[in-house]
Amino acid sequence: MVERTIDQEVTQLIAEIIEMDPAEINPDAHLVEDLGMDSMMALEILASIEKKFRIKVSEEDLPKITTVNRAIELAKKYVK
Amino acid sequence: MPQIVSPERAESVKPLLEGMAILVTGGSRGIGRAIVEELASQGAHVAFTYAANTRAAEEVTHHLHASGREVAAFQADARDLKRAQEVVAQTIERFGRLDGVVNNAGITKDKALMLMSPEEWKDVIDVNLTGTFNACRAAIVTFMKQRAGRIVNITSVAGLAGMARQVNYSASKAGIIGLTRALAKEVAGHGVTVNAIAPGYIETEMVTSLDVKRLEEARQRIPLGRFGQPSEVAALTAFLLSDRGAYITGQTFVLDGGLTL
Repeated sequence: MVERTIDQEVTQLIAEIIEMDPAEINPDAHLVEDLGMDSMMALEILASIEKKFRIKVSEEDLPKITTVNRAIELAKKYVK
Repeated sequence: MPQIVSPERAESVKPLLEGMAILVTGGSRGIGRAIVEELASQGAHVAFTYAANTRAAEEVTHHLHASGREVAAFQADARDLKRAQEVVAQTIERFGRLDGVVNNAGITKDKALMLMSPEEWKDVIDVNLTGTFNACRAAIVTFMKQRAGRIVNITSVAGLAGMARQVNYSASKAGIIGLTRALAKEVAGHGVTVNAIAPGYIETEMVTSLDVKRLEEARQRIPLGRFGQPSEVAALTAFLLSDRGAYITGQTFVLDGGLTL
């Protein structure tokens, strides 16, 4: 899979969950402090990434989903 | 003469938990064993933990295997979160799924507060309350991701009314009630229900080990005039784990023969 596609897919998934336009999301913005996400949404993101890419992400990685870029890194780690 | 069962009756006798996988902590004796046996009889694949009594755990396992039931036993200290996570993972690996957790593991170390040591306080809190946290913590992400799950916590009337010489036990069981209500609110949006059962005096080793005078005094305070049976706690547990309990969450069900009325 082309890495750029993973970037776009993950950004789109997050945008849908936090109900924002993907183009308006700063990939380094803190999901909780800057984008108003809560811990439940982080789980939604994890579950969406797992479903989209057919991967199984370790629960231990859940706290790492703090920014869009961290979510993208995680997806790439497991897709490889 | 063969028994003819109407379609309506047949529907009502269908196993409550067919195909579900349930983890029970403290399942080798007493109420825990009754719960394991009831869940298995209702069609569930059951995993249970035990602290140290390997013989009791083997007896439960052999008994259920002999009846053709799927059951797995894991030795685990309820105080150990990492072990709880391993048991959850191994249960999912064995049965392919996890649909419910019953937090039953618990101990007593009774003493008047003025004589209670910090260790006696801490041990009971750690096993009973922190043990409940550990099993919930180990299973909750799985439940939330699949948007379905059942948690049943075995508390006690001691957690509601308080019992003299059981300050540690009463506090741990009251804590379980608070945990139940808070967690129920937190995960309801993910399709997970969390409830508690507060048994009164149930005929188990824990109760019958009390002195005879105290036992008789207790029995006389119960409006229904008898102690409860582990199977009665188990029946309610099975109901709450089943689809029939799907609209119940955050509740504490008192099963005490009217003792606390």
